Amino acid sequence: MSLPRTVWNTVKSLVVGHAVTAREIATRPITVFYPEEKPEFPTGSRSVPVLKVNEESGYINCTSCGLCERTCPPGCIEITQAVDPATNKKKPWPHLYTLDLSHCMVCNLCVEACPFDALEMLDVPELATYQVQDLKFHKEQLLDLWKTGKAIRIAEGQPMPSK
Amino acid sequence: MNDVLAAVLEALAVLTYVALNAFVLIWLERKIAGHIQRRIGPLRVGGPGGSLQSLADGIKLFSKEDFRPGGRDGIIWWLAPLVSMTPAVMVFIAIPFGQHLIIHDMNIGLIYITSITSFGLLGVFMAGWGSNNKYSLLGAMRAGAQLFSYEIPAILSTIGVVLAAGSLSLETIVAKQSAHWFLFPQILGFIVFYVAILAETNRTPFDLAEAESELVGGYFTEYSGIRWAMFPFAEYGTLFTGCALATTLFLGGWHGPLFLPGWVWFLIKTYILVFIAMWIRWTLPRVRIDQLMDLGWKFLIPLSLINILGTGAYIALVR
Amino acid sequence: MASTSTTAGEQAPGLQSQLMTLNLGPQHPSTHGVLRVVVTLDGEEVVEAQPDIGYLHRNFEKIVEGWALPGVVPFSDRNDYLAAIANEVCVCDAIETLGEVELPDRAKWLRVLFAELQRIISHELWYGAFGMDLGAFTPFLYGFRDRETGYLLMEKATGARMLYAYNRIGGLRNDVTDAWLKELEGYLDFMEKQAFPEYMKLLIENEIFVMRTKGTGQLTREQAIAWGASGPVLRSTGLPWDLRKKRPYLVYDQLEFDVPTGTNGDNYDRAMVRMLEIKESIKIIRQVLRRLPDGPVLAKARAAVRPRVGEYYARQESPRGEVGVHLVSNGRPNAYRLKWRAPTFSHLQLVPLMCRGVKMADMIANLGSLDIVMGEVDR
Repeated sequence: MSLPRTVWNTVKSLVVGHAVTAREIATRPITVFYPEEKPEFPTGSRSVPVLKVNEESGYINCTSCGLCERTCPPGCIEITQAVDPATNKKKPWPHLYTLDLSHCMVCNLCVEACPFDALEMLDVPELATYQVQDLKFHKEQLLDLWKTGKAIRIAEGQPMPSK
Repeated sequence: MNDVLAAVLEALAVLTYVALNAFVLIWLERKIAGHIQRRIGPLRVGGPGGSLQSLADGIKLFSKEDFRPGGRDGIIWWLAPLVSMTPAVMVFIAIPFGQHLIIHDMNIGLIYITSITSFGLLGVFMAGWGSNNKYSLLGAMRAGAQLFSYEIPAILSTIGVVLAAGSLSLETIVAKQSAHWFLFPQILGFIVFYVAILAETNRTPFDLAEAESELVGGYFTEYSGIRWAMFPFAEYGTLFTGCALATTLFLGGWHGPLFLPGWVWFLIKTYILVFIAMWIRWTLPRVRIDQLMDLGWKFLIPLSLINILGTGAYIALVR
Repeated sequence: MASTSTTAGEQAPGLQSQLMTLNLGPQHPSTHGVLRVVVTLDGEEVVEAQPDIGYLHRNFEKIVEGWALPGVVPFSDRNDYLAAIANEVCVCDAIETLGEVELPDRAKWLRVLFAELQRIISHELWYGAFGMDLGAFTPFLYGFRDRETGYLLMEKATGARMLYAYNRIGGLRNDVTDAWLKELEGYLDFMEKQAFPEYMKLLIENEIFVMRTKGTGQLTREQAIAWGASGPVLRSTGLPWDLRKKRPYLVYDQLEFDVPTGTNGDNYDRAMVRMLEIKESIKIIRQVLRRLPDGPVLAKARAAVRPRVGEYYARQESPRGEVGVHLVSNGRPNAYRLKWRAPTFSHLQLVPLMCRGVKMADMIANLGSLDIVMGEVDR
């Protein structure tokens, strides 16, 4: 390529590049001031699986069957079945139900595995803690979370509800 | 006694101005970068648009741990920030902000400025050598080659102005531009000078000495706290003086069409040049070291020689 | 510290120069994660560059041997975390083939749609990161700006931004709404009309960029084949090898698209191939949107996936190249062995070859143009 042509190409490409940035200066920023101004999270974004309280009975649906525990790939769910101290018989609800969110992949497989509609995925995006142990949620904490969050249980194969 | 007092006061005034200017420029750069990138930039600290951000950063940098790398070359490492900052401050003495707004109008003002700015290289090289860090050394090597090869076109491009003005005194040079700016016959000289300024202040597309993606931080990798702060301080000081010099030499200094005080015109022109430098920085990618050398030696130097020739011919024909 | 051997270059008598060994990474602004490159430098020139991997090793292949196969799918997201859908689709393909699960039609088309959307998003990030490697910071944020819009779309459809866990064995977890498809169309329009020309003007057509990338990091076709390169790295050498065309999977054989190739195999060609692939992906998604069939997205017999005894190598075209899953099954619900073929693992082996005798700055550009994702390399 001849020298004048190179110079012309260079100058042209530089001017065109600067025109792009100049136009971007004039347009509105796209950032959000996070703590003050919350971005709108789309419905259906998953953050934590929690235990659910049955609206009619007022009890949790979980029967401590252990399917979620077995399905969970990283093994972050731990269930201890309740035992009647008098008769030493097993009861159909969990004595302890622990979810270690620091291991959880938020893959939704436990919710899909549950046959009793006892688990729900929440969209509570702000779950960060200073201590990793604080991400270990017990049964009561999971129920509290369920009260604060918005559940997004969708049947498999159905479309996600859109805003 | 009075002379000493006056000198101290002058030095204080210059230092205050340089510091304020650096604060403003750093804030401005972050704002411009933000808006170019569809962000907002500093926002939370201080007045409108986070304008006190630089001050907060300054306080933070003052209170940081004075980290010293092991195996440093003691005195050289310690001196480097000072050496790189001093010339940036010293240049302010000879810049005519307004008709009589100049601290010392030397009859060799231009030579003074070009010789002083070359000292900046020394500080950069000392920092790179003294840090005992390979990234720093590479950065210093690059800076050495780069500043040296861009000093020459910068000086050559000013010769046309000197020819046209017939003086080395900056005030005289500006006074000669009352009728028309030197920009118009010498547009080549201006372009060469401006590119050389960008290279001398280590700004993209010539920021090889810092080259974040290659050399982490270049020559100031090992500096932190207020020692580190002196390098950007010097960089923004040099950027401002470079643009001020371009205004003085090519854009008619304090002359302006409207009835504003001369120094306002001077600052407006200078800050427009500064803004363009920032705009360029946030648009272009970085050149490679051999391309940088090619541009300097094979392109800018011939161009500035053509500029001298053209100016000489113009003067010979017109007079 | 510096080694003591002397350079072979000419020297003034009495002067001695040394080679310098520089540890680039694992914490370095442009090593794309945690790659360590041991560079031997002669001044600015790279004498030798030796990548050292393993800083992001998570034991993927061994861990999944103990997991039931449905759980492998979400975990595979973590391999190439910038193109998670490509991983999922590939591992699902392997499991579905061995488990003899029939995919519903709509799931096939949607998988293509998501894989191509993922390709666009991944190339956007690559564009930004490559600009950053060349010292231009603004393209990085433009790339991120549009990638963010794409991720928002992904989140609306799948429920997660990056690691989707969206594919299930036998289909997809959930369907997409018509409103979402409309929104996707808007995104494609934006990409085509505004973002893509902007990318080209700002960086790819810039003369400094062209100067920096043309003729650097050159690979011949033979070298690329010999070192197992695939994807844009191989195509930039002029070989139109694209698994979507050569070994069509899903519904790619029913779609019309071109395979962009380069001629020189240098950094510029790799950049151009990737940029043109964005256009092709947009074209593919538009066709999918036009022809998307109705129906279920999840096969019925999903719960009882028990692959037959045997082995299968599934391979697909991820944004980075040929991603492959070699699944060996002994009939149990978990894999006997699952070998992951990562395209950038092969590409990383090209680094010593490409970086011999180049300038330090070009070495960074070469690394960037290979589009390395350390999560996939180390697994």
